[in-house]
Amino acid sequence: MVWNLCKSLVTFILILLGFIFVLLLPREMEVEAIGFSQYEAAHPFTMDLYMDNMKAFVTYFQTEKGFGTTLAGTPILEEVQRYLGRSLKIIIPTFILVLLFGTLVGVLQFNYRSKKRGKILSFFSSILSSIPDFFLFIAIQYLLIKLIQAGLPRFHLFGSDYWYSFIIPLISLMIFPLLHMVRMTVVAMESEMSQEYVRTVLAKGLSRIQAIKHILRNCWSTIINQSQWVMLYIISSLPIIERLSNYNGAGDQLLYSILNNEDIRAFALMLPFLLIMFFIHVGANVLKFIILPKEGKQG
Amino acid sequence: MRKVFHFINHNFLLCFGMLMLVLLLSFTFLGQYAPFINQGVEEIPFKMTDGKISVPPYEPSSEHLLGTDREGRDLLSLLAMGAKETLLIIVTITILRYLLAIPLAYLAHKNVFGANPLLKVLNGFFSYVPTIVMVILLAMLPPLLLTESRPYYLIVIIAAMEVGRAAETIKQELDECTRKEYILSGIAVGAGPVRLLKSYYLPFLYGKLLVSIISDLGKVMFLLGQLGFIGIFISQDIIQVEIGMFEIRNESISWPMLLMEATSDIRGPIWIPFWSAFAMTFTIFTFNILAQGIQNLEKKKASYLV
Repeated sequence: MVWNLCKSLVTFILILLGFIFVLLLPREMEVEAIGFSQYEAAHPFTMDLYMDNMKAFVTYFQTEKGFGTTLAGTPILEEVQRYLGRSLKIIIPTFILVLLFGTLVGVLQFNYRSKKRGKILSFFSSILSSIPDFFLFIAIQYLLIKLIQAGLPRFHLFGSDYWYSFIIPLISLMIFPLLHMVRMTVVAMESEMSQEYVRTVLAKGLSRIQAIKHILRNCWSTIINQSQWVMLYIISSLPIIERLSNYNGAGDQLLYSILNNEDIRAFALMLPFLLIMFFIHVGANVLKFIILPKEGKQG
Repeated sequence: MRKVFHFINHNFLLCFGMLMLVLLLSFTFLGQYAPFINQGVEEIPFKMTDGKISVPPYEPSSEHLLGTDREGRDLLSLLAMGAKETLLIIVTITILRYLLAIPLAYLAHKNVFGANPLLKVLNGFFSYVPTIVMVILLAMLPPLLLTESRPYYLIVIIAAMEVGRAAETIKQELDECTRKEYILSGIAVGAGPVRLLKSYYLPFLYGKLLVSIISDLGKVMFLLGQLGFIGIFISQDIIQVEIGMFEIRNESISWPMLLMEATSDIRGPIWIPFWSAFAMTFTIFTFNILAQGIQNLEKKKASYLV
């Protein structure tokens, strides 16, 4: 267990370093005047420049004793906290809802899979799972705009200033991982279905619900393993959805700082996301160790 | 006739997917000949209606079924004309990805040339860092921004990003295959590694490969759409706009291009991002349904009990 955690920590640090190495590749543009109204854009790309970038990165942290301040003078750390707070308001509920409802609907779909309503359920989930989140978001907006025109009470569709601002981004982010979770649960349960212990449970005269409970207990490892995928998906899609909804959270700011070559800021904004992934990874391992001692030890 | 019905009834998803694929392909290749498609995709600078001048973008109407973009180009025509380029890009990326992934998976399976550790490193990295962040970081690198062959580099980058994931899936299938007896017979007759891969492993993987390739087509479309919102496209050039100012310009009419100004379009002419995203959704949907249909076909073949 401790060995496993150390291994995860080392992997995390290596990944962090890898990310920094890619981030620091020289990408500054040099505009040079070559006569009247004539300019040339050059992107020098040499090893020396790369080394300089890395040195500057290290000395920055040494002199600033931390992340330092933005051009406007606010400490970067404070800024990151503000943006991240907003983003977490989307990330955490989405993550919890996906795991909870994904498993729940998965069990329902498994239970009814040979009945008509089960088939309808699975057909709809396979249709919905092909809808990309950005389309879902735009479609919801389009629908709401039409509805507001038709007389629905007016409310603010964009921005992050209202208590309900996070709801539409949350819904658009949730659907895809939710349906993935449902599918994974069903697949895991179907593969357990033919095991002998299920027959034993039924032979003992216990109900169908009891049998499903037994099956579900053996599916925990699949569900826990999927949690990492769910989080990665949420983090990958968050920037785009935040940008579309003008939500102004850490994801959108991350994109902005990468596109504007603000290395330090991009790093400061990416770090929390990497840390979240790391905690989910460690959390999943610890959970596995607690509820599935046998598999946890195998790693 | 009865047999046909029986087949459709039992392979509903497959037939549905095929139907959608036919629709998509006919929109792509025959769409330009349809009477309502304006092949030149001309711009309309302004329109006079009842003595009033109005400027684009125009809302969806009977004249422009899906409305027009900000330059007054008919959106439906734009989508039809851009479909070929879009599909070509996603197919190229996906095929390239699998051309890289299959040898990598085989080498990793044989555990030679350090392919296995490479695969682990790749997958470990991308289980933490979102693919899209890496694509943005690499796509904005100066040597790639300035060359003429930028489209090719970008296609390689996007293909390479998820090679690890594709290779891992194939490797697991290969690992499973190894335990089968016919592989042993192949080794016994003295087949070399290349022949083993070609005639002993791959024929049993074709079905599964097809499923993952087709579903990857959808994934690539999704990624290209996301990149479109950020303003990164496969084909773009840097152009001097003002004195000393440079901007990235696009001359292509592939679908993600239409999403370039989505963040402001969504507050005004929302039909532009809506219908372009819809076209992408339709594509993703087609490939996903098709992949699922083929997968079900495979499943049925393998089981004796229906």
